Amino acid sequence: MQSKMKESDPILEVQNLFASTDNLPILKGVSMTVYPGEIHAIMGRNGCGKSTLSKIIAGHPSYNITKGNIKFSGENINSLEPEDRAQSGIFLGFQYPIEIPGVSNLEFLRVSTNARRKYLNKEELDTFDFEELVKEKLELVKMDHAFLSRSVNQGFSGGEKKRNEILQMALLQPKIAILDETDSGLDIDALRIVASGIKKISNAQTGIILITHYQRLLDEIEPDYVHVMADGQIIKTGGSDLALELEEKGYEWTDNLIKET
Amino acid sequence: MEIIERIKTNKLIDNPTDIQKICLNKLQSNPLPNPKSELWRLSNKSKFSNFFEYSANEKNPNFDIPYHSNPKDIIRIVIGLDSQILLKKENYSIQQLNRDKLDKYIKQKISCFDQNEHWSDLLNLCLSSEKNILGLKIKGSKIPPIEIFSHALSNSLKAKTLVIFVEKDCDVKLLQVNLGKENSSLSQSTFFCLEENSSVNHGIVSYGERKSHLLNSLNVIQQKNSEYNLGSLHFKFNYARFEIRIKQSAGNAKTNIKGMQITKNNEQISTYTKINFNGPNGFLDQINKSIANDKSHAIFEGLIIVPKIAQKTDASQLSRNLLLSNFAQIDTKPQLEIIADDVKCKHGATISQLNEEELFYMRTRGITLTEASKLQLSSFFQEIISFIPISKDRWDLLDKLLNEN
Amino acid sequence: MGVSFVKVYRANCNKFILDNMVNENLVKDVVTEPYKYGFVTDIETEKIAKGLNEDIIKLISLKKEEPKYLLDFRLKAFKKWQKMKEPDWAQLGYKQIDYQDIIYYSAPKQKEKISSLDEVDPKLLETFDKLGIPLTEQKKLTNVAVDAVFDSVSIATTFREELAEHGVIFCSISEAVKNHSDLIEKYLGTVVPASDNYFAALNSAVFSDGSFVYIPKGVTCPMDLSSYFRINSGDSGQFERTLIIAEESSSVSYLEGCTAPMFDTNTLHAAVVELIALDDASIKYSTVQNWYAGDEEGVGGIFNFVTKRGKCLGKRSKISWSQVETGSAITWKYPSCLLLGEESVGEFYSVALTNNLQQADTGTKMIHIGPKTKSTIVSKGISAGNSINSYRGLVKMGSKATGARNYSQCDSMLIGDQASANTFPYIKSQQPNSEIEHEASTCRISEDQLFYLQSRGIEFEEAISMMVSGFCRDVFNQLPMEFAAEADKLLALKLEGSVG
Repeated sequence: MQSKMKESDPILEVQNLFASTDNLPILKGVSMTVYPGEIHAIMGRNGCGKSTLSKIIAGHPSYNITKGNIKFSGENINSLEPEDRAQSGIFLGFQYPIEIPGVSNLEFLRVSTNARRKYLNKEELDTFDFEELVKEKLELVKMDHAFLSRSVNQGFSGGEKKRNEILQMALLQPKIAILDETDSGLDIDALRIVASGIKKISNAQTGIILITHYQRLLDEIEPDYVHVMADGQIIKTGGSDLALELEEKGYEWTDNLIKET
Repeated sequence: MEIIERIKTNKLIDNPTDIQKICLNKLQSNPLPNPKSELWRLSNKSKFSNFFEYSANEKNPNFDIPYHSNPKDIIRIVIGLDSQILLKKENYSIQQLNRDKLDKYIKQKISCFDQNEHWSDLLNLCLSSEKNILGLKIKGSKIPPIEIFSHALSNSLKAKTLVIFVEKDCDVKLLQVNLGKENSSLSQSTFFCLEENSSVNHGIVSYGERKSHLLNSLNVIQQKNSEYNLGSLHFKFNYARFEIRIKQSAGNAKTNIKGMQITKNNEQISTYTKINFNGPNGFLDQINKSIANDKSHAIFEGLIIVPKIAQKTDASQLSRNLLLSNFAQIDTKPQLEIIADDVKCKHGATISQLNEEELFYMRTRGITLTEASKLQLSSFFQEIISFIPISKDRWDLLDKLLNEN
Repeated sequence: MGVSFVKVYRANCNKFILDNMVNENLVKDVVTEPYKYGFVTDIETEKIAKGLNEDIIKLISLKKEEPKYLLDFRLKAFKKWQKMKEPDWAQLGYKQIDYQDIIYYSAPKQKEKISSLDEVDPKLLETFDKLGIPLTEQKKLTNVAVDAVFDSVSIATTFREELAEHGVIFCSISEAVKNHSDLIEKYLGTVVPASDNYFAALNSAVFSDGSFVYIPKGVTCPMDLSSYFRINSGDSGQFERTLIIAEESSSVSYLEGCTAPMFDTNTLHAAVVELIALDDASIKYSTVQNWYAGDEEGVGGIFNFVTKRGKCLGKRSKISWSQVETGSAITWKYPSCLLLGEESVGEFYSVALTNNLQQADTGTKMIHIGPKTKSTIVSKGISAGNSINSYRGLVKMGSKATGARNYSQCDSMLIGDQASANTFPYIKSQQPNSEIEHEASTCRISEDQLFYLQSRGIEFEEAISMMVSGFCRDVFNQLPMEFAAEADKLLALKLEGSVG
């Protein structure tokens, strides 16, 4: 398709990936490659393995890679710790952001931002400079300053949690962002805010993977590629029209595709 | 166990006071607590006997207060060193109780002691020399914060006793610091009496050094409409035992307790609490946290007693525990004994390790596992530490803890 | 944690009320009923002399024509018992038991060998009829096989042939000793050793009868099995012993019911139940205990000292205890699970109701030994009158129990201002990769709730029993159908006159 982008090296390569948890196979041979500037969407029914894929890329300790590789900027990261992945520029937007009672949001954001900055050989920010930076980024997601003094995600509404995720993405400036159902639980206004935030943060060097059930996020952010997942595999890849087709024909269509393959 | 021998043979002290005689008498037939009773069952026997390894001499009472800056707005007292205390200001007074009154009060207390339950207090009063018993009467308003130190120096066993009367309508912030130097044993007994409408923010920070031991007993009586808040922290003792007994003598009082104990290496630290509601409309909110690492053992036993007279009691007790190593052990036993029917009581207990999902979340944001664990631990601590008066402003306790854990 | 139970409970209550508006007449019927099982059957019984010594034990063993290993088992247990002390940690207040003043063997006189139910003394059949447990061919309960135990002996077991077709053995333990001696010798005393506690030792020495169940590999028992225990004599103790073995991939649901006549003396009941579940096997053991509780002044009633324990020996095995304890003057009972097999599961669901001067000290022990073992405890205590109702439980995570989980919830409800409710959970962990969560609360029936019900035209006592059964819903849901209805009625009956 858009071959112009492929002049540079890929950011992320997932190569024939098999993974399991508690000896239960979940991924059964997933391959995909993301180049700078590309937006990929992964769609599929609940339980097809799309969230698992995102967690494995981020390094969740509960999953074992049994076969295949994940490469980030050309390097195999199969056994890299999650924090090392994050520092080198992999960002996972959680479907259900975790509440951490007692840990202040501001402190959390500052420590993680500095961890990333340290990796990039940038100067670490003190509380004062960091507040300045956060203020600027808060604008992006239209969040109130008061969010910073609360505990991480605790007592946040669904929409607030998702905006907090995008705020983190803005602060960490990842090379690749995997956004797991960032659209779920959002009303239309919140969806627009989140989508415009994502668009502003990403640029020609960033890769984005959107994991979603529905078309509505893809109306806001048009993907270059759409992958349909079922039973731990990508069963079909196409352009943005594939999502529309899927929306129209429903997931039963993909069920039939599995039977065919 | 030299001391126990001396108790048995009645050769403990050369010139015993009346109080010492009474306690000695009580202890003679049964000099040790019943190891089978619930209160002592889990106590490590060899560690407990280590408590008595040191001699109870009186020499060299000087000691260095761990931090010297003494802002003017804090009153500092070291039990055993400050002989005469009388502070009279325009709106308040802190006054040492006269000896007769103090003796009378203590004797009356002893007369209602249950041998097993109050064993630590009996031992304390048996060993405490006259100058190590401090009695204070506090009244008035706008009282500056008070710090009271008890300490045991290396190679010694010390007993310190503190009796405090908080007069009507009085509001006090008081931090008690118990320090155990290397190879030492400290017995601390504290008796608090809160008059009507008084309010006390009480902090206890107890920390030891290598091979230090502590028996810390706290007895509180609350009159009507009083409020008693306790924030406590015990750590770094080879063996420490913290006993809390609180009685709301006529109900209608408020008690808030937030306590924490941290054990490492092969330490054993335990907390026993007994809250007795002796009248209606009492309120209790209690949380006790334990963190056990390495081969250590943390114990919590909490008992809430709500007799028939204590209608409309609202009590909650929570025991939260973090078990951080495969070789550590945590025992917890939150208990309720209720006879009144119109009450709201609940208790809960959890034992777990650090939350893995929370850790993973932080790690995906580039925070290292060690740092993420620290953040989680610090939030676990924060709730307790912020409740300890005075300390939080001037002590970098939190940092100290985090860097050591 | 820290969830306010009271709120949740209110929500449940209201839901329950709506669900059960229809059933209100049912509840009403029962509130006015007295203890209807208090009659005595006039039947000639064979009793041995009072007292306990080696000769008595030998006599019991002789009467039951037991093999030598069993006599040795009894005598060894007796020796241990003699060295043991009656436990006092539960701080139950009761009159000293004179163990020499008890008859240890009492059996209704009947023909030597009974080949069919027709030969059973009609008086006995009539007794069980009156208790709602008809045994005869024409009347017997469908889909439940019953082993009826009268004083010290098993009278009859229904549906034996049908069960035999599936390879299921269901008979009295005396019969099992004769016909399945290998199984008895292999398993008896392996879950509850004679030395376990004072009452278990006593039972091991003098046990008279009880039920034996064996479910072979791969078999799902085609019907519920049930034992019904009836104490008839006032001066004899009851010491039954139950042993259930579920082989690999088998499952069984077992029910137990008990009643006794009203005597003004206290009768001792010291039973032992042992369950063994192998790989993938599951045993569900339900009890409705309604021994005579004594009168309002606390005179008479059964002293119920029972040791029940299950061993989840196999991987993924499951043992589930559910109990409704309403009777007995004193209940001392902690059905427990030893979770040895990887991923094995233990459950305990309990309702204990005490009224008048009853004392109940009951709970469970969940001992997690194997990795990924799970346990759930739900206990509901209701105390009324001058009674004392305590939950006492132990949850222990051993050092090898990685990934183990426990959740406990213990709620108490107090009715009247003379009753007491205690909660004593002992929690112990030696494994950081395990989780224990315990929640407990105490509440009473709120005036708001009562008013709400009354304003809808529901009578006071009815409203109370509705709310009580709403309070117990979580546990009742675990009981087999027939039991659940009975349990509901039982609670209403027990609470009669306790409020007002």
